[in-house]
Amino acid sequence: MSLLRRPGMLWLALPATAVLLFTYVAPMFGLARMSFNRTLPGGAMQPDWTLATYAEMAADSFNLELTLNSIQLSFTATTFALLLAYPVSLFLFRTESRFRSLLAIIAIGPLLVNGVVRVFGWIAVLGDRGLVNSALLALGLVSEPVRLIYNWTGVTIGLTESLLPYMVLALLAGFGRLDREVEAAAMSLGARPWRVFVRVTLPLSLPAIVLGWLICFILAMSAFVTPKLLGGGRVFVLATQVFEEAVDTVNWPLAAALSVYMLVLLLLFLGAYGALTRRVER
Amino acid sequence: MSHVRLDALSKVYGSNAPAVDDLTLTVERGEFLALLGPSGCGKTTTLRMIAGLVPPTGGTITVGGADVTSLPPYRRNMGLVFQNYALFPHMSVADNIAFGLEMRNLPRSEQTSRIAEALAMVRLEGYEKRRPRELSGGQQQRVALARALVIRPDVLLLDECLSNLDAKLREQMRIEIREIQRRLGITAIFVTHDQVEALTMCDRVALMDRGRLAQVGTPEDVYERPANRFVANFVGRINVMRGEANGASLAVAGAPVAVANAPRTQGTVDVMVRPHRMTIRPEDVAAAAGENRVSGTIGRIVYIGDVIQVAVDTPAGPLVAERTTTGPDWHTLAVGQRVAVAWSAADTLVFPPEAR
Ligand SMILES: Nc1ncnc2c1ncn2[C@@H]1O[C@H](COP(=O)(O)OP(=O)(O)OP(=O)(O)O)[C@@H](O)[C@H]1O
Ligand SMILES: [Mg+2]
Repeated sequence: MSLLRRPGMLWLALPATAVLLFTYVAPMFGLARMSFNRTLPGGAMQPDWTLATYAEMAADSFNLELTLNSIQLSFTATTFALLLAYPVSLFLFRTESRFRSLLAIIAIGPLLVNGVVRVFGWIAVLGDRGLVNSALLALGLVSEPVRLIYNWTGVTIGLTESLLPYMVLALLAGFGRLDREVEAAAMSLGARPWRVFVRVTLPLSLPAIVLGWLICFILAMSAFVTPKLLGGGRVFVLATQVFEEAVDTVNWPLAAALSVYMLVLLLLFLGAYGALTRRVER
Repeated sequence: MSHVRLDALSKVYGSNAPAVDDLTLTVERGEFLALLGPSGCGKTTTLRMIAGLVPPTGGTITVGGADVTSLPPYRRNMGLVFQNYALFPHMSVADNIAFGLEMRNLPRSEQTSRIAEALAMVRLEGYEKRRPRELSGGQQQRVALARALVIRPDVLLLDECLSNLDAKLREQMRIEIREIQRRLGITAIFVTHDQVEALTMCDRVALMDRGRLAQVGTPEDVYERPANRFVANFVGRINVMRGEANGASLAVAGAPVAVANAPRTQGTVDVMVRPHRMTIRPEDVAAAAGENRVSGTIGRIVYIGDVIQVAVDTPAGPLVAERTTTGPDWHTLAVGQRVAVAWSAADTLVFPPEAR
């Protein structure tokens, strides 16, 4: 509002707008345009305005399965990430330790490591001869290695871990309404610590939870490296399918149509988020 | 028997100077005690130790004869009103007030009647469904008070809860809180740095200075008979003159000064007199018996409404005398006029200068 009243300030947004136009908006339109092109039997693409690709996509029941896979995987990984990140973030938010910033950097440190490298780290940990299985075997808890990678378990573990730093950041950003004084008030009114948590801390951190959950859910839906590498070709989600269609099958209109479909799906989630936050704010 | 008893209570944060230092204080049942002192003197820390929110590093707290020093806050049954109210932002007014009752597992019907009672007490009927942020500061303050009182606490603890209100509302709330406290006969401790609030609302005033108890007594005690320089300075306005004590006699700027309670000190002292106990006299009229006076020139006249403050430059330093504007004669004073400032021996306070 105030920006619009001082048009001079709008110039400050110009560089970012230009960059976004070229790197984001233009390719998106290009992608959307491509999804209406025709694929010739030989695999070549012919400019056109047809809904044939969308019809093909809708007719293929495998795409519904992929959608459900994507949603289920993202839901599980995001929820695990939330459960793991919440106590850490709460601690980081509150600690008066001198090492607070250091601890925060450690918590979001994994972002500094390339996603592919992290996946290989997981393979070393979760593989048949990995850390976990060696320990389980050595302890005699299992007689043969447990399959922890190249399946849904592995992908869920890897995805959860890759979401953690984002979840911590989002929670820290959303904890603004938490107030020690209000919790102290609850305690002075007779609430034991766990009741303070359930009745005050948790409700007041709901905006943070919703924000973190949404951001990570979107990240999880579009995650490609982890399902591809930790899935070992046995885990199929929308993101891997787009890659397959674009790179292996070289059916660009279909890859584009799938991308548009994913985008619409995420926009729907965003809409639901908007409605939800309006209710939380109430 | 005293209701609340603090015994050698201390709190040291980390390696800092003690925030509260060897504080011993008792509060009678049904008494309204003010904890008064400048910012940072340890008032909030003391109150929070009583509430159980800050663990003391030394000493004990007794309530009704029972040692509560190591009890957690949720087992203490104290009603705490915070400076910033600390209402639950996600709950309605009614839910805020109900919280303490729910924690006590009271039956629904009793909760409802007690909430209604509490809302009536703070005159907020009809506001049950509002959220805290939909209330004015004064209304939030009343909800906080109702929330603290509805649990029928052993002790009501108030932390500067009026300082966010405008002057008019603050005065009104002072009367209301005092009225409610008296009606319920509840023991209350009221933290404030506003001496007017402390003097006008409370039965007794405990003054704190850098974590220590400076004096405790009735408002009249601390105002008329301050125990030390700090109290004299902090409570009310006061003129400070440099004096020389020599056994029973005292001199200011070379002239002898009569004192009711002669100091038994030697050397430099601070001589203090309240502005409204100083009168402006014509310079040529002889001093009355036992009256102290010093001549000077009027440097400034400040009109406040009910009084004028007359600043007079004298050999004893600048002195401020207050005169009521009741009669017409105050108009005769003018800047530059030669006058005498007079005060009685009984109004003269003498303290050794502040040790540095
Ligand atoms: N959590 C804390 N950690 C370290 N020092 C603290 C803490 N809380 C208070 N202090 C220090 O203890 C001293 C007393 O603080 P306290 O809050 O009790 O003062 P106060 O009398 O309530 O002041 P005010 O009138 O400004 O509220 C201050 O010097 C303050 O800096
Ligand atoms: Mg304070």
